[in-house]
Amino acid sequence: MDRRVVITAEASITPIGNTKEQIVKSLAEGVSGVKPLREDEFLSEFVHSKVFGTVDYPIDYDFDRKYRKTMGPVAFYACQVVKELLAKAGLDQEFISSGRLGVAFGSIHGSPLMQREIYKNLFDKTSTRFGSVRAVNYLKSMVHTTAVNITRMFQITGRVISSSTACTTSSQSIGFGYEMVKFGLQDAMICGGADEYDTTTVAIFDNLLACSTAYNDRPHLTPRPFDADRDGLVVGEGSGAILLEEYEFAKKRGANIIGEVVGFACNNNGGDLILPSLEGISTVLRVGLDSAGIGPESIDFISAHATGTKMGDVLEAQAIERVYGNAALVTGLKSYTGHTMAACGVIETILTLYMMEKGFVAPTLHLDQVDPRCEGINHAQQLFEKPIRLASIQNFAFGGVNTSLFVKAFDS
Amino acid sequence: MSAVLSNFYLKIQVFMTRENIQNEIFSLFREHFEIEDPGLDDDLKDVHGFDSIDAIELFIELEKTLHINLDQEIKKDAMLHIRTVNQICDYVEQFLPREDAVSPCAMSN
Repeated sequence: MDRRVVITAEASITPIGNTKEQIVKSLAEGVSGVKPLREDEFLSEFVHSKVFGTVDYPIDYDFDRKYRKTMGPVAFYACQVVKELLAKAGLDQEFISSGRLGVAFGSIHGSPLMQREIYKNLFDKTSTRFGSVRAVNYLKSMVHTTAVNITRMFQITGRVISSSTACTTSSQSIGFGYEMVKFGLQDAMICGGADEYDTTTVAIFDNLLACSTAYNDRPHLTPRPFDADRDGLVVGEGSGAILLEEYEFAKKRGANIIGEVVGFACNNNGGDLILPSLEGISTVLRVGLDSAGIGPESIDFISAHATGTKMGDVLEAQAIERVYGNAALVTGLKSYTGHTMAACGVIETILTLYMMEKGFVAPTLHLDQVDPRCEGINHAQQLFEKPIRLASIQNFAFGGVNTSLFVKAFDS
Repeated sequence: MSAVLSNFYLKIQVFMTRENIQNEIFSLFREHFEIEDPGLDDDLKDVHGFDSIDAIELFIELEKTLHINLDQEIKKDAMLHIRTVNQICDYVEQFLPREDAVSPCAMSN
């Protein structure tokens, strides 16, 4: 069985907005969502990087207590985007609970805030009672808390995949969801990822000397993917979800089709868990193209992982040049949002879908002077009004995991 | 007996009438479960959506609030049979000093 898989709804919470209008406006006008790091009375005062891809607008959560009681902040993000997604999609509850709709959703490590709550109780010297380690806090903190809180809130009974592979979490969600539908194991999949505001993540990258620190007084000017003056990544928060459906099923119910997933690949570098690999990245791009049955010349637009780190951007640019040459326009969308971790793959997919719909390619922000080592590819340094027919969204993660995802403008 | 422990027993001895227990439980329901003044004989699950996760949380809160330790087997049994606030009060009462018991405070004096 080999079925067409279309995208029929999307929803997101990003540092540049949570509606299509806000996000498109930010992309078109070059507005960054990177802000000063919020104080959290935990690590914010110690980390060197004082910038963060920030969701600073109110979100109207309207969840009943019976759902809230098992949700940490990351699950709030996840359930909110899925609530909006299902409202847009118009699927009936009978199908949602039929077992033919599954969920592929993850976060990098559940809810760090709730994990800290558990540890706080566990290591509290005034308490010797293990009962202070609450089961409900485990449900809020656990690594698959996003996926299962989604299933609980919307009574979804199909398959659950909860990848947790750092920066490839949600691109894996989409890819594995795509394969579920393509090969007939599910008729539809909700795919995405989320990560909450968290300074432990900042601290980890900070300690690896991978975070941006030179723009603490000018947050909106960092990260700077591929730019000669880039100095590291900016951690961010957010959430995103897309709905994948089997084409005939979507067509029959009159769904609004906004794109088609035509290929996916995932591999591992088989070596270092932190440093990216030119071979690993190049291979995942080639295997992805093969899975889509297309040549590299077909790609109009590449959403690069492009975190703004010194070496990561160089190796990615080299891999893109090696596989695609310099025809396709390349944008590092994290220059707008910061690195939303588990959510980055799905958010970048949604941003790409919006540009596909509106017929433009947003530039990489702050790419004033391309690092000579990142030359050789077609950087979008200004906004281009041009149709995107086929796009590649690529993401690479700690642990050596790489993904490439291929999305096509819908053509019936 | 330490002053702290004496005060603790005194508090239980003085305040834990049936009405006090009910009020403590109502307070827990309000603060932790967003359930306002449930009827004493309401089926908590059917009427207020109070499920097994809530029950586990309630045990922890009761232990903290009333300074009691509930045995695992007793908790398991309670999970099976307790459905109402009145039943929770009955359950809690058996772990508290009876009104006619001699005050541990008095004993220390």
